[in-house]
Amino acid sequence: MQGGSSGIGYGLKYQARCISDVKADRDHTSFLTGTLSLKEENEVHLLRLSSGGSELLCEGLFSHPNEIWDLACCPFDQRIFSTVFSTGESFGAAIWQIPEPYGQSNSSTLECVASLDAHVGKINCVLWCPSGNSDKLVSMDEQNLVLWSLDSSKKSAEVLSKESAGMRHSLSGGAWNPHDVNSVAATSESSIQFWDLRTMKKVNSIERAHVRNVDYNLKREHILVSADDESGIHLWDLRKTNVPVQELPGHTHWTWAVRCNPEYEELILSVGTDSAVNLWFASVSNENKPSGSPVEASRQRVNPLLNSYTDYEDSVYGLAWSSREPWIFASLSYDGRVVIESVKPFLPRR
Amino acid sequence: MATEAAPMDEKAKRMRDLLSSFYAPDPSISTSNSSISASFDNINSTSFDADQYMDLMIKKSNLEVLLQRHVQMAAEIKNLDTDLQMLVYENYNKFISATDTIKRMKSNIFGMEGNMDQLLQKIMSVQSRSDGVNTSLFEKREHIEKLHRTRNLLRKVQFIYDLPARLQKCIKSEAYGDAVRFYTGAMPILKVYGDTSFQDCRRASEEAIEIIIKNLQTKLFSDSESIQARAEAAVLLKQLDVPVDSLKAKLLEKLEQSLDGLQIKPEEASKLVEHDDSSNDTESNDQHPAKIHEDAVRGFSEAMRAYREIFPDSEERLFKLARALTAMHFENMELYIRKRVSAADFLGIFRIIWEDVVLMDEVLPEAALSDLSAEAAQVTLKQFVARTFSHLQQDISDTLLKFDINQKEAVEGEILKVILEASQKAVLQGTTNIFQDFRQLLDENAGIFIKMRDLISGWIQKGFQDFFRSLEAQFLVLSGKTSASNDIEGKSSDKIHAGLILVLAQLSVFIEQKVISRVTEEIAASFSGGNSQAFENGPAFIPGELCRVFHAASEKLLQHYIDTRTQKVSVLLRKRFKTPNWVKHKEPREVHMYVDMFLHELEEVGKEVKQVLPQGTFRKHKRTDSNGSNTTTSSRSNTLHSDKMTRSNSQRARSQLFETHLAKLFKQKVEIFTKVEFTQESVVTTTVKLCLKSLQEYVRLQTFNRSGFQQIQLDIQFLKAPLKETVEDEAAIDFLLDEVIVAASERCLDVIPLEPPILDKLIQAKLAKSKEHNNNTVSS
Repeated sequence: MQGGSSGIGYGLKYQARCISDVKADRDHTSFLTGTLSLKEENEVHLLRLSSGGSELLCEGLFSHPNEIWDLACCPFDQRIFSTVFSTGESFGAAIWQIPEPYGQSNSSTLECVASLDAHVGKINCVLWCPSGNSDKLVSMDEQNLVLWSLDSSKKSAEVLSKESAGMRHSLSGGAWNPHDVNSVAATSESSIQFWDLRTMKKVNSIERAHVRNVDYNLKREHILVSADDESGIHLWDLRKTNVPVQELPGHTHWTWAVRCNPEYEELILSVGTDSAVNLWFASVSNENKPSGSPVEASRQRVNPLLNSYTDYEDSVYGLAWSSREPWIFASLSYDGRVVIESVKPFLPRR
Repeated sequence: MATEAAPMDEKAKRMRDLLSSFYAPDPSISTSNSSISASFDNINSTSFDADQYMDLMIKKSNLEVLLQRHVQMAAEIKNLDTDLQMLVYENYNKFISATDTIKRMKSNIFGMEGNMDQLLQKIMSVQSRSDGVNTSLFEKREHIEKLHRTRNLLRKVQFIYDLPARLQKCIKSEAYGDAVRFYTGAMPILKVYGDTSFQDCRRASEEAIEIIIKNLQTKLFSDSESIQARAEAAVLLKQLDVPVDSLKAKLLEKLEQSLDGLQIKPEEASKLVEHDDSSNDTESNDQHPAKIHEDAVRGFSEAMRAYREIFPDSEERLFKLARALTAMHFENMELYIRKRVSAADFLGIFRIIWEDVVLMDEVLPEAALSDLSAEAAQVTLKQFVARTFSHLQQDISDTLLKFDINQKEAVEGEILKVILEASQKAVLQGTTNIFQDFRQLLDENAGIFIKMRDLISGWIQKGFQDFFRSLEAQFLVLSGKTSASNDIEGKSSDKIHAGLILVLAQLSVFIEQKVISRVTEEIAASFSGGNSQAFENGPAFIPGELCRVFHAASEKLLQHYIDTRTQKVSVLLRKRFKTPNWVKHKEPREVHMYVDMFLHELEEVGKEVKQVLPQGTFRKHKRTDSNGSNTTTSSRSNTLHSDKMTRSNSQRARSQLFETHLAKLFKQKVEIFTKVEFTQESVVTTTVKLCLKSLQEYVRLQTFNRSGFQQIQLDIQFLKAPLKETVEDEAAIDFLLDEVIVAASERCLDVIPLEPPILDKLIQAKLAKSKEHNNNTVSS
């Protein structure tokens, strides 16, 4: 398994942790990424894959007041995104709008649509409602879960409800269920918690320590993928949460993030602090649905790891599939290198 | 006359034909009679046409022939004429003689009537005389008849009166056959008159008969009697209308009960065998159980033979019994082998059972006992093989776990080494024993075994294959890598000692390298048969596959060991970095204690690894003597070395991020995540590397103020010396430690490293303190 040199690279000036697919951009395959530098001027880069798919172009470069710990694109407006940032001493979260017209004017300033300032502790992430046009947002700090309603025209965000998860739990991140807009999964110190946003109550949980990242399978309801520091990747069926459906070995060191492909339900990407991106083939076969040809099944049994991209200098934290071209993903290592790769050679035959 | 069938000459035949045509008006009959000669030119046929004949003659023949024919025909005609004349004359003669005879008869009949009358008279007189005699003798004859009848009656009465005495006599002389004959003879009379005239007599004889029945029954039941006697008794009893069926049932029940006695009870089975062995040495044992058992079975089969002859209709039942006994034998055998049984014992029991079966088979060949028992034996043997393997597996895991329990008390000792050696021995010894046992099975010459030899080899091969596979699975379960299918086991993964995982890993290597090859050799040597027939899907024992399986398992287990170890450290580090507010950290006063804990963990890993894994082929730096005096010098030398490092570090920390990137570019990329090898050093190094990487990642997640950074710097600086001491890959460790510092500096708001003298002072203080602590613990 060689590190593919096929990837298209792009260098950020500073270190960076987060990259996001601009889902609302239907015409281009675009990614948004932001830098993480304590002392320098931080930037948000809008990257676009050229139509031939051979080049990664910087479509816009915007300065951001603080180092960016989390970045998420609005699913319905390609100009809007959210960030979680830190001044070093305190955390904040905000919704930003890319000024119009973007592209030509480099280093233009971002318009702040709204500041999500209901938090005091360390903010972990901002989640956009995945339904596509809903104006709902969820932001999480270590103790609280806040549901926002965003009015981008009035440039204001309103707290709809806020609930404390309790001191003990120390939330660290989460994912919004794409199959049920009222359900959000949140990772905490000792478990994965499932929150119902209507009642703002914890409805279910998977007892699992040190889960770093979770992602829902877009194609298969009830399937959730989690990544642990130590014990790799687990696939869960949300209807029977006591045992994982499948286990993947993960990375040599921590598995940092995990993403399900939006189109091919068996493909899972994971990034880790061992400076690698791993592509997995994990078919959660249920009895009523025969899973592929026997050849494929045997291949999967032999090794679920389809490929390992190891051409990175540092730990990889950022990972995003393109929703427009679902065989393309962007990865971001800590040294600020964005690499776009295509998994086309590994796509399951249909 | 015409139908007279006798060979006749031409002439006579023609005569006859002519006559018949004359007498029979129906021409069809005559033609049918003479059909043989009826032809177109036949002059005798009715359909003869003279003209046609003439034509034909003229056409066919020449003159000479015609003339000849003419002469011939003329002669024939003349002949016929004379014949006819003769015939008429003869007929006439006969007619005249017939008239004469009638005349004579007429004259003879006169005078006959008178003779007839005379005869009648004489007969009449004879009749009357005989009647006279009859009447005169009738009375006397009647009297004689009456007397005769009475005498018979009296004789019968006498017989009946004598019956009891006679029966008694018979009892005395044991002539039961006669007695029964007498009794059955008297039976009809007794039945009719028993209630009136012969009451006493009947009672007496019935009593006698009862005695006889009883005697017969005892005779029937007694095993000492000859079979014929018993059979006779049974027949007699049947004649006496005693319900034999119930007797039979009773007897068979008795036989059935005796089955219990014949059982080889699992508890006694071992005794049977033991005594069987010991008897060879010490003949003093009056009778060992095996002998007793054999006798019992012999008795049983004798009884069966007897019953079979006595009650020919009871075969089915006997078959059932024999089958039941065989089945019971094998059931007991199964029970018996549920416990741990050596092959010798197993074979001993098997032999006994086989002997029993042979004995019974002789008596009841139709019961197909040998087939039945061959089937049962196959099942049992298969079970035995399977069980032997499961026992071995149990042994191995017992060995592993037994020591684990002791672990808590004897942490200090080289317990892992002991476990490893014990379990290695258990595996080796176990497989050797199994081979010995199975070889015994193959060498056994009892009937069934020869047939099953191929099967046994197949089972053994398959057994080994399955055994190793399940052993591997069990290793993984024991290590907590894969949870057991049911969570009843209650062993959560935290309870499993990490050392055990390491032992399992090393044991897997051992199995892969030594045991499997050995087993392969053994199988090739003694158990190679049976492949081709029993298993179409290739040979059952595939060493290559097993090697692969165990190789994978060993790697998995080793990785798992490292994982569990690093997890502990990771938890430690997580706590360390989550708790304080790094942005408001106070000035570093001393090396933080998590470093001690980290080093302690490493030390433990080192200890465990040293016990279980072999040393690597090379070490970068050797400090063979690790006495107290030497440690101080080494630490001093390290401080010198670390001085330099600190300087370079501080410089680097001050430099811009860009420069560090540049430096990184020029530095060769250090391979952090290399493949783990089965050596002490490799495992320790991998563990340290993973821990340091975790440390780096935790640092990257925080933001530090100056003091926070300095604290990290201090801790890392302190770690440097002891880590290098333990780890073979110094470059990688240097790199990782630097990376931690770099990460901290990147995440620091105000990077001002500690001055080297202060750093040194704090480290020395820590060293002194830990030394003192060590001394205290040693002294206490």
